[in-house]
Amino acid sequence: MCSVGDDNLEEKTSKYMEPVPKFKLDDNKCNKCRASTPCIVLRGKDAYCQACFLSGTTHKFKAFLGKHRFVYPNDKVLVYHTEGHPSTSLLHFLRSGLDLSTPKKLRFEPIVIYIEDKIDLSSEERSDAAEFIRKQVEEYKFPLHYISLCDCVKKNNKVAECLVDDISKLSIGDNDKENLNQVLNSKANTTNKRDILKIYKKTILIEAAKHLGCKVVFTPELGIDIASQLLTNVSLGRGIHLALDVGICDNRDEDVKIVRPLRHFEIKELAMYNHFNRLEVVAKKEKLENIYSSVQSLMKNFVGGLQNNFPATITTIVRTGDKLAMEKSLEDNPRCVLCRGPQENRNEELTSAESTSFSHWVSTRSPQYSMTPVERYEKSLESFSVAGDSPYCFACERLSHDLVVS
Amino acid sequence: MPACSANCGKNAILKRPKTGDALCKECFFEAFENEIHFTITRAKLFTPGSTVAVAASGGKDSTVLAYVLKLLNEKYGYNLKLVLLSIDEGITGYRDDSLETVKQNRDDYEMPLKIMSYKDLYGWTMDEIVAEVGRKNNCTFCGVFRRQALDRGAMLLKVNYLATGHNADDIAETVLMNILRGDLARLNRCTSIITDSGDGIPRVKPLKYTYEKEIVMYAYFRKLVYFSTECIFAPNAYRGHARVLLKDLEKVDPAVIMNIIQSGESLCVNETANMPTLMTCERCGYGSSQKICKACTLLEGLNRGLPRLGIGKSSKVKKLIEQDDLKRSAAGCCKSKNKSDCGNCACNKNEIKRDLSKAVEELKI
Repeated sequence: MCSVGDDNLEEKTSKYMEPVPKFKLDDNKCNKCRASTPCIVLRGKDAYCQACFLSGTTHKFKAFLGKHRFVYPNDKVLVYHTEGHPSTSLLHFLRSGLDLSTPKKLRFEPIVIYIEDKIDLSSEERSDAAEFIRKQVEEYKFPLHYISLCDCVKKNNKVAECLVDDISKLSIGDNDKENLNQVLNSKANTTNKRDILKIYKKTILIEAAKHLGCKVVFTPELGIDIASQLLTNVSLGRGIHLALDVGICDNRDEDVKIVRPLRHFEIKELAMYNHFNRLEVVAKKEKLENIYSSVQSLMKNFVGGLQNNFPATITTIVRTGDKLAMEKSLEDNPRCVLCRGPQENRNEELTSAESTSFSHWVSTRSPQYSMTPVERYEKSLESFSVAGDSPYCFACERLSHDLVVS
Repeated sequence: MPACSANCGKNAILKRPKTGDALCKECFFEAFENEIHFTITRAKLFTPGSTVAVAASGGKDSTVLAYVLKLLNEKYGYNLKLVLLSIDEGITGYRDDSLETVKQNRDDYEMPLKIMSYKDLYGWTMDEIVAEVGRKNNCTFCGVFRRQALDRGAMLLKVNYLATGHNADDIAETVLMNILRGDLARLNRCTSIITDSGDGIPRVKPLKYTYEKEIVMYAYFRKLVYFSTECIFAPNAYRGHARVLLKDLEKVDPAVIMNIIQSGESLCVNETANMPTLMTCERCGYGSSQKICKACTLLEGLNRGLPRLGIGKSSKVKKLIEQDDLKRSAAGCCKSKNKSDCGNCACNKNEIKRDLSKAVEELKI
């Protein structure tokens, strides 16, 4: 029996969700200078004029760099270009910061890298995208390097060999997709494929940074990317490396740090920043996905949907990520050969991983009904042992079955 | 039908979501029970000779928990004394029916049963609370009160452990919810298999690694009697999001549940982050992270006729109470004068019944 709505417990108003009052730009002044007419509303409530918005956005970027001090003067910084609004804003932030003549001038040398991984597009579209990026980066006067993901995976991740600085040398082949799929198990599901490619790309960034003499890599992930990545990683059993994978800085490599300077931005801010600055943006073409095809796409859809109804969702998740750390006692543990993060402590406390392998163990052993149930249990426990010498961490262990070459 | 993965020669009747193996009925019973035994012994949940209260709602989880604990206790000689502990929230058409199931379990499994009711402990039934606060947020009251009611019941029964029927799905859902809410303190502890509520009676979750689906299948094949109606009041809105997400994830890959628990177990909070500490409530003496525990705050709100007092920010509670006191003294209300004469507020109708010793007297088994 449905009992919703047939009681008189509530006053009429609370039965339905209250409509969100529509924000009117005309009645307000800019939240910051209190003088000009605002032209943009952020977070559904704060209105800013163009000048205040632009200076605020730039400040947010520089404040992040200033607060955390990852980069020192004259360091080289590798900037990962992924097309779309975030990368364009990032280039503009850097160029305008470097060109300042005030003490707030940025004092490091960006080098841009483009990883060609658009295997779902036609060769022509891929060449056009690379050419567009070449033009764009040239305008900002940064050095640019290219690398083909497929090429790199085929050559067993020898990044130095595959890195090119001339667009004509960038290999874009028609059967890159098949080639890339060959290194993965054909039965691998989309979730695992995306997870593996993500790790490969990170390896490329780190190796390329070393090759080019950079100590820091900037990646252009926004708040929503961080938030959905955090939930994805939790769902894939990567909780142990959460602080590295989605935190402020990934320092699992001794020489190169990966920093995510756009983690507190939302797409609207950067799209408007690019629009007001009249920047040309490299459009991002992506294949439309069924949200149930992978954990990654499901999470992105979920976070985006929840953000619409609860505007604090993304910031809450991102700030949660900020407050996580790598457990100190794990630092000296052997590293996982795939993701290079420290492995879990084994055989100490009962974990979910051990419980799962025990379940699998008891579900695949032939029962000997000649023994008493207690004896049977003792017998199966005797022969059960946790895989203690795996070179992988918990999450990568699962991926390792899908790798044809390791 | 595929053959049983254990090669016993029979046909499988189910595919295990946890591992993907297919098992026949006998092999499933044995695997299911032995896994819980493995969890109990490997995590050292109970010391031999102790008394364990099973938090019983009459639902599938607690029914299976009580059944399996009794079975394992006899099979492996844990030497435990098992008792059932139920909470009567006072929800007509829901709890009264499910308590009948618990009474059935009491007779079937020959375990003593103790029922604690909200009415006796707090002076309010959930029906009355919902009449005050409406259908929104009433789960806050029910959840907070139940947690403490279980603690009180465990104290009263002088048990050494309180076993709850939380299953793997519940734990994974809680991990996701705590991330979405940014609740670091709970995120840190929600995956522990043993937790201490501050009164020295540990709470244990023997079904922590058991899938909800397998619990349902086990209860079905064992023909256990359980009560399967959802609570008649609206489900907790925010937990609902985590639940929908988890069900969707399960569609993509059922192993995700174990992955999330693994993540929850291994993630680590930065030392510099502010974390609450476990204290005891100034008023009732039970575990709390604040000076006054949530149960006391919510109750104070109900008794003052300010039902929304404990909902939302705890920092605002003190101010609201002060305001209310001012208003009452201005109106010459009972808070400052004689209680029975008061016609202005809710406190006349519902006298506070929080004196534990009194409750104990009334509730003697």
